[in-house]
Amino acid sequence: MDSDYRLTERPGLGMATIMARKGIQPAVIGAVLGFLPPDGPERAADARLALIGTGPGTWLALAETPEADWVTQLANKLNGLASVSDQSGSYVVLRIAGSGARETLQRGVFIDLHPAVFRSGSAATTVIEHIGVVLWQLDDVPTFEIATFRSFASNIRHWFELAAAS
Amino acid sequence: MSRLSFGGLIDRAQPLNFTFDGMKHAGFAGDTLASALIANGVKLVGRSFKYHRPRGILTAGSEEPNALVTLRSGARAEPNTRATTVQLFEGLEAKSQNRWPTLSVDVMALNQVFAPILVAGFYYKTFMWPAKYWEKLYEPIIRRAAGLGQLSMEPDPDSYERAHGFCDLLVIGAGPSGLIAAVTAARAGLRVIIADGDWVLGGRLCSERHVINEAAAGKWVDDTVAELRATPNVTLLSRTQIFGAYDGCEYGALEQVSDHLGNIPPGKSRQRFWKIIAGRTILATGAIERPLVFGGNDKPGVMTASAAATYVNRFAAVPGRRAVVFTTTDSGWSAAEDLMSAGVQLAAVVDPRTDSQPPAAARLRQAGIEILSGAALTDVHGRTVRSVDVLLKDGSRRRISADLVLMSGGWNPSIGLGSNLGDRPVWSDLVHSFVLNTAPPGMKATGAAAGHFSLSGSLADGVRAAEETLRELGRTSAVAPAPLAGDEPSASSPPWYSRGHRSKAFVDFQNDVTDADVSLAAREGFVSIEHLKRYTTLGMATDQGKTSQLNGHAVLAAATGKSIAEAGTIMSRPPYLPVAIGALAGHHQNTAFRPERRTASHEWARERGATFVDAGLWKRAQWFAHPGERDWLQTVSREVSMTRSGVGICDVSTLGKIDVHGPDAGILLDRLYINMFSTLPVGRARYGVMLREDGFVMDDGTTARLGEDRFYVTTTTLNAAKIMQHIDYARQVLWPELDVQATSVTEQWSTYSVAGPLSRPLLQMLLPDLDLSNDSFAFMAAIELRWRNLPARLSRLSFSGELAYEISVPASHGEMLVRALFTAGDAFHAVPYGTEALGVMRIEKGHPAGNEINGQTTAADLAMGRMMSKKKDYIGRAMAERPALSDTNRPSLVGVRPLGGARLRAGAHLLPQGRDPLAANDQGYITSAAYSPSRGQWIGLALLQGGAARHGELVTVHDPVRGPDFAAEICDPVFVDPEGVRVRG
Repeated sequence: MDSDYRLTERPGLGMATIMARKGIQPAVIGAVLGFLPPDGPERAADARLALIGTGPGTWLALAETPEADWVTQLANKLNGLASVSDQSGSYVVLRIAGSGARETLQRGVFIDLHPAVFRSGSAATTVIEHIGVVLWQLDDVPTFEIATFRSFASNIRHWFELAAAS
Repeated sequence: MSRLSFGGLIDRAQPLNFTFDGMKHAGFAGDTLASALIANGVKLVGRSFKYHRPRGILTAGSEEPNALVTLRSGARAEPNTRATTVQLFEGLEAKSQNRWPTLSVDVMALNQVFAPILVAGFYYKTFMWPAKYWEKLYEPIIRRAAGLGQLSMEPDPDSYERAHGFCDLLVIGAGPSGLIAAVTAARAGLRVIIADGDWVLGGRLCSERHVINEAAAGKWVDDTVAELRATPNVTLLSRTQIFGAYDGCEYGALEQVSDHLGNIPPGKSRQRFWKIIAGRTILATGAIERPLVFGGNDKPGVMTASAAATYVNRFAAVPGRRAVVFTTTDSGWSAAEDLMSAGVQLAAVVDPRTDSQPPAAARLRQAGIEILSGAALTDVHGRTVRSVDVLLKDGSRRRISADLVLMSGGWNPSIGLGSNLGDRPVWSDLVHSFVLNTAPPGMKATGAAAGHFSLSGSLADGVRAAEETLRELGRTSAVAPAPLAGDEPSASSPPWYSRGHRSKAFVDFQNDVTDADVSLAAREGFVSIEHLKRYTTLGMATDQGKTSQLNGHAVLAAATGKSIAEAGTIMSRPPYLPVAIGALAGHHQNTAFRPERRTASHEWARERGATFVDAGLWKRAQWFAHPGERDWLQTVSREVSMTRSGVGICDVSTLGKIDVHGPDAGILLDRLYINMFSTLPVGRARYGVMLREDGFVMDDGTTARLGEDRFYVTTTTLNAAKIMQHIDYARQVLWPELDVQATSVTEQWSTYSVAGPLSRPLLQMLLPDLDLSNDSFAFMAAIELRWRNLPARLSRLSFSGELAYEISVPASHGEMLVRALFTAGDAFHAVPYGTEALGVMRIEKGHPAGNEINGQTTAADLAMGRMMSKKKDYIGRAMAERPALSDTNRPSLVGVRPLGGARLRAGAHLLPQGRDPLAANDQGYITSAAYSPSRGQWIGLALLQGGAARHGELVTVHDPVRGPDFAAEICDPVFVDPEGVRVRG
């Protein structure tokens, strides 16, 4: 097995849940944000903000370099269009990159990560060893990121240690 | 030694040493344990389950019922391992089972003497009366006598891993039809997984002598396997057994990663458990040869013809010197030829068929072999085979000396996986066995598994199956025809058994079920195939009846005068072969048995000497013991007293937290809670209670309104996920017309309760710019603010009954906050307190928690009946109005304090004074109990019939398990500050 991958943590990201108000289409939100939010399990981004589709009309938003009040700003921008909840503390985001990243993740993730099926820009809400994760692919290195609830993070780190060992 | 000097798939340059029952032997790389034992002339390998009869090696595959051994020793000892599938390794250690004191002298073999009474249903018939002996006598006796092999009772030292596979096509079995199907599909570009339990691929082509494309079949196997390995869209899994078919085209598989290694390298796992999702599946599992039922057919030296051929052809191991072949199939004749070529003397070939004989018969006759057609083998003599009796065509009997009996009774397609999802196989007159009727979605059987027993037929069928799959998946590539192979005769007769036998004839070898047991069961009325199975235990051993099932059905059919088609067959459940529990558990062992959730203060709490307790998956600090403290009670009492007299801090982050946003958020909350929330002003919090649809209390918690359309709901720790689900159900299913959004923020906020009279000055040090006075931040105030430029939330809530606040920051900074609180708290002697002190203080305040909100209590039972709004509808309202739920005599919440210094314990029952401790006099029980440092005595909460009207009454506390009865007074459940002065202080 190819176990050549690097695992790094991504502290300091700004994160939020965006849920569209009733009857508001993604395009309307996109018009405000400047890019079209994905209408499915995918990732779309501009230089400052990434949106990951986690459900109908629901996105996980990630800001690379968040200002202190970025969630308030986002909520104000989307006032009347979407509900916004700060989740910056909720998740630990791990980056898995390298030729062995896919094979390693596949041991934990029971969705098909074959490049013909799950590619750069794909996203999924799934589980690794009974622990909920949001997973997305950034590029064809391949580089993946997973967001897992902070209280579960030690379990996920432990799983990576075991997956790497075997 | 019984090893040929030529041929076979063994490496004579690599000898391997092993021991069986302590005796040293040697084999070669490429051997199984069974083939190595045969090559070493070992015939007696085990003892049978019930009669402890000597047993040898019956088959050469995973269907083996007899040659079960304990492999390895110590913690790695694995009982009931099939010697026929164990790949030999240097230093292998195996022991026979189910014998005492030794394999050759087994005391329990005495059971055979009692065989006349040890018939089908023996236990049911014998261990019936008197009933009082069931548990004390019968069960221990039965348990001691039953079972095969013994567990080591030591922890499993090995590790197991998990893998997930996805493919367009899963091919189960790498014999001729599986290989050709896989390579055909792979060439057309499908993603293919092909799995086989063996470490050598090729299936029967390794065991039989065939020619493909005018060369030895082995070359075709090697070329095909090499092509598959070189194709990137193919995953080739050897040593991998697909053990179950599940819904959604999901398959379970077990890969034996290191089982063939003497020593598992550190860090390497023993087995890998695969879950595979397959678009399509080709079942190419081949067929299993049926034994024949005759007297002594279980004795060492009797084996299936195909097994004998396998040992000779694949392992160059010769199982005997002089053989009698008893066959009702053409393949049995081919096996006879194989043995003859290996130098085994053929004493006779016995075939009950008179109508047709394959071409091999003429060749054998020409070689001077005696052929007895229209005859049948009836009995075997000797402890291991020494001679056999044959009932000749003319009715006379003849004894023939031999040390090996080959039997061939036909072939059963190996279709167990095909009936995993509930499809019952059907009888085929064409192949004289059961075949798949309707396969699970996406599955098709091919080759011998579909009844195509000749090599050319099975190759052609493999190509056909692949072609069909390609067509179904919309691929139109041209497909190469099947390679050229011989069309050897493969006829067989219907299942057949000899009635002329004089000794015990076995149907199920592993569970010791004889033809007489089956007939007896039929006479006793167990004529359904499913009843027969359970009554006689036919097919219920670890081999799941792979060699026995059909013969049992044939005997039953004969006994009941039905055809086998009418008698029918059973279905097979996963696993197809035994799977170690460890492989299913994977990494989830010991503390990793389930995930663990840690709060942001975990590391800080550990440094402070916290003892942790499980709350669901959460680890919560239970208390923080100081050196020199006598016990937990002293610790907890200190934490309570210091909080009530000064200030205490507790991590309450595990409470469920849900953002409910949107213009209709208030309306939704009004419908979820018994009390009003749409009227709650911004900046305020309110306690609320939710009912289940049936009117009983589901959960409680406080909800704060942080904006016109933004509510912040909290739930109890254990109900966090359930309430989130409940809210989603309400807004998505019940009232989709409402414009309301909800998302869990449990993980977002790290929340600390700061409680006690000094909580205000302490918090003021962290929040110097905030006016915390009663006027500007009253009881139940709730605001958003910033702390150290972080978003934060502050509310004035109290579970303890003291002046108290809850402060939250993002969990990423929760550790920073708790350290800051205690830095500021030094001046106030702030004390950390855990869940135990939290519980004591809530009992002192009479707040119901999980013990009282137990699914059987109404809001009125918990003294919250007045919260139930009459102005609106809400979930559970109608059902809560049922007479039984509003009966004033229902058990309701009261306080209990013992007279004197007695210790109250939760679970103790409450009786009217002077009444006998009978269930009829039981009026309630203590739900929560604690030592109250504030009151200097044990106190409790209880649910007592008509409790609200009984304050001041004396009752008897009855706890038959933990102590004598004592008297206690029923009182108001609020023991501390009943007027609620402190919370508003």
